[in-house]
Amino acid sequence: MFKKRKIEKAFIQFVTENEANLYRFAYNYVKNQQDALDVVQESIRKGLCSIHKIEDVSVIKSWMYRIVINTSIDSIRKHKKVHPMESEAIEHLLGGTDKYENIDLKNAIESLPHNYHAIIFLRFFEDLKIEEIAKVLEENANTIKTRLYRALKLLRIELEDGIQEDQRYE
Amino acid sequence: MNRMKQLIKEYQNIEIPEELHTVVEQALRQKKKRKPKKMYIGFAVAAILFISSVNTSSTIAHAFSDIPVLGKMVNLITFREYRVNEDTYNANIKVPAVTNLDNKELEKSLNEKYLQENEKLYQEFLKDMEEVKKSGGGHLGIDSGYEIKTDNEQLLSIARYNVNTVGSSSTTMKFDTIDKKNQILINLPSLFEDEDYVDVISENIKEQMRAQMKANPEVSYWVSGIGEEVFDSFEKIGKEQNFYINNQGKLVISFDKYEVSPGFMGVVEFIIPTDVIQDQLVSNEYIK
Repeated sequence: MFKKRKIEKAFIQFVTENEANLYRFAYNYVKNQQDALDVVQESIRKGLCSIHKIEDVSVIKSWMYRIVINTSIDSIRKHKKVHPMESEAIEHLLGGTDKYENIDLKNAIESLPHNYHAIIFLRFFEDLKIEEIAKVLEENANTIKTRLYRALKLLRIELEDGIQEDQRYE
Repeated sequence: MNRMKQLIKEYQNIEIPEELHTVVEQALRQKKKRKPKKMYIGFAVAAILFISSVNTSSTIAHAFSDIPVLGKMVNLITFREYRVNEDTYNANIKVPAVTNLDNKELEKSLNEKYLQENEKLYQEFLKDMEEVKKSGGGHLGIDSGYEIKTDNEQLLSIARYNVNTVGSSSTTMKFDTIDKKNQILINLPSLFEDEDYVDVISENIKEQMRAQMKANPEVSYWVSGIGEEVFDSFEKIGKEQNFYINNQGKLVISFDKYEVSPGFMGVVEFIIPTDVIQDQLVSNEYIK
């Protein structure tokens, strides 16, 4: 009973402290504010519903990211046809002169297969360690590493930074 | 990598809507409202009106029970309430009491049981609250009360629920079914000739689980034979499994949250078709 409470407390703390990250992460999938908020809310609900399955505080982070990914994908599936575009996004498209390059990269990342896409985001945008990503995606660390390199190669991004950052965690 | 860095920066600049914090807070706080919370409001109001009088004077209680129409309503009342209302600590415990039974011994034993159980619940809550406070605070909630499942000429089925909220919530139910005519408490084994009912009912429930899951992908039970490996699947009901008899005279088997299904399914109930258990039944006195 007490251990359970400790895990729940850790979960609540993690969610509260990382709400902005979880939101951005969801936003990145669903691309609009309302859906992202819904995904965050739904993910917390799912989390609370199955928190009793968690045995150890250390897995909360990767477990929660996994829930957010799955919930986001569900949400996208539900609203498959329409992506309401927000004003900033429109401005972005109209206004930017030097942003073309980035839009390309953005599109390239988005057109990656789901597994690769998630790895790029978790690694670079959410700053998760390889092992943590492995837990989120339920794969082993080597598979993740291979996919990460392959993804970067597909994106034709120079690898130096990537390699250095990776080795830090080995 | 420059482009990537810029993109990361862009990502970090995704605007965080103001309402995010509220949404998160609410999601964390939500108590998953389950069926048991649907109280019979009309009944509750009526009961509250009577609480004080019935509580203080047995003569008045008797007076009420002599009025034919009201008599039936006074059968179950809220005898006592325990409440805690501090920021993150909430307890709401309603203790029912049966009145109006001629079998005073049965009435007394039920009421004592209700009072003792709830008193214990309340004391445990206070103790837990102290512990949580000592270890730096947290959320703690308990909501306990009762619902009348069946109330007809012959039977009174009372469901008592207990929702325990510690971040997530767990719900446990307890049932008592009273034969009003004969003034006795009915337990599950007493309905059947021998113990075969355990297997017969269990098989039927498993079939119902599989059928429900097939019909609706959102439904999930821990049951074997659905193509997925299930760890710790549901095998058999207990001899004294939670049950009640509904207004149609059907046997209803109830499982607590997490007992046979993932948490989101909440408390689940299965109505057992009478023809399935006909061979095992002692008689069709209660179950039709």
